[in-house]
Amino acid sequence: MTAQAAALVGLGMTPMSLKPGDTPLRLACEATRSALADAGLTHSDVDGLLVGSSQGVRPDRLGVAFAAQGGFSDLRLLEHVEIKGATTIAMIQRAQLALETGAARTVVCVFADAPLVAGKGAGSTYAHSGGRTGARGLERASGLLGSVPTYALLTNRWMHLNAGTAEDLCAVTTVTRDWALGNPDAVVRTPLDADGYFASPMIAEPLRRLDCARPVNGAVAVVVSNDPAVGHNVRLAVRGVGRDHPLRHRRAGRESWFGGGRRAVDDALAAAGMARSDLDTAQLYDPFSVVTLLLLDEYNLTGGVPAGEFVRSGGTAKGGALPTNTGGGQLSGFYLQGMTPLAEAMIQLRDQGGDRQVAGATTALVGGIGGRIDHHAAMILERTA
Amino acid sequence: MTAAQHAPDWLLDDGLAPDVNHDPLAPLYDGSARGELVLPFCGSCGRPLDLEQPVCDGCGSFECVWRAVEPAGTVHSATVMHRAEPGLVHADAPYPIIDVELTSGHRLIMTTLESTMLPPTIGAPVRIAFRILGGVAIPAAQPTAPSETEATS
Repeated sequence: MTAQAAALVGLGMTPMSLKPGDTPLRLACEATRSALADAGLTHSDVDGLLVGSSQGVRPDRLGVAFAAQGGFSDLRLLEHVEIKGATTIAMIQRAQLALETGAARTVVCVFADAPLVAGKGAGSTYAHSGGRTGARGLERASGLLGSVPTYALLTNRWMHLNAGTAEDLCAVTTVTRDWALGNPDAVVRTPLDADGYFASPMIAEPLRRLDCARPVNGAVAVVVSNDPAVGHNVRLAVRGVGRDHPLRHRRAGRESWFGGGRRAVDDALAAAGMARSDLDTAQLYDPFSVVTLLLLDEYNLTGGVPAGEFVRSGGTAKGGALPTNTGGGQLSGFYLQGMTPLAEAMIQLRDQGGDRQVAGATTALVGGIGGRIDHHAAMILERTA
Repeated sequence: MTAAQHAPDWLLDDGLAPDVNHDPLAPLYDGSARGELVLPFCGSCGRPLDLEQPVCDGCGSFECVWRAVEPAGTVHSATVMHRAEPGLVHADAPYPIIDVELTSGHRLIMTTLESTMLPPTIGAPVRIAFRILGGVAIPAAQPTAPSETEATS
């Protein structure tokens, strides 16, 4: 069975840049070249290509034209995968299914994004996107600009329901920054304490600038194969994937952001034949500090301890019960959507984490959320050799 | 285009005004212009629908009916936005954003009617009125407790 399991056999990352520069296409080319080299392959070995890109921010988002532009030969699988922040895991799952059915043998999954453009901050770029029509147009006409105020509403609701505090947000942010200090790829690597956190400018109460992810221009590519003769000498098997798309409506008397997600993790663990106690590390999708708290609860990763207390007592930190977002996450590492947690999981399971290595890590949970936490994806990876 | 006949909105630049004539929410804006809060329901089973939901999740009906509802609700969540995006926001102080649970069963995000209003707390009652942005009436919240509508005294 292990010989047939889909495995992640190549990883390529561009430098993560806080400055405008390369196009998504150029970044995707570089990440793909790096991933293929990591796997000991060339473009002509690839017969499956899955591309992912973020919605809306720029017109030249990466698409299936990358196949022709990126130096590939004839392909048997080619798709643009799009399910918002769950896209990365959806791509791996798509590749896994293709391998299992023989639809493809060697699949490259690549995500590239370049939201930072000259003359604008990242927040401004997002604030100016969204259009003037439909429900989003009405929200924008009501001052809900960019994604921060939406997540601020979510945060206050979450705090209301869970007795959460600003100290909980602070703990997530400072612990995540501590992890980033050990990650050379992290874009923010200055020590942060509580005083520094509370000095951070407020964006939308209670979210401060430091509660928000750091968008970058960059790309990550991953090679997926089930050929035991192919790839990096450390094989990372895809043990299980779970998805959950709770179709919540925005109605009075019910929650519209919470619930769901646990099934995705349950299903991924069931496929892997593992329990939560088998997980050595968790790499979650953390566009805002509150999301780490929310997901620790929803994924049931704290052994019943309230998420805020779990983080404040060091549960997600070095030496904690479940080292989480060990590269600094999207908050301090880099925001490249679902590729952020996936890349960090691969680095940890390959024992390449250097100063932030989780000793002996052989299993990892990778998470992805999309939209306003409307989409959940979970994946279990295990080092097999 | 001639100069706008209306006073500027207290919060946002007119450029953020919805393009009412080509908008799936046109019935809402038409109602707002009359001072009525108009929202979508399933024409078959009566379930309140999301703002852009052509098919009812309760009964599968394609019939969507927009009708006036009571302009009242309670606060689901609220925030105060400190970041004033240049070119979009011309308020010079942080502004409230409120997610309202309406008595009709819908949820709607809005700011307050006037700049001086503080954001109410979760669970607090609000009434819905309308502010004018670029000539378009937009639902806006008014705290129902009179004392809260006076920022200073």
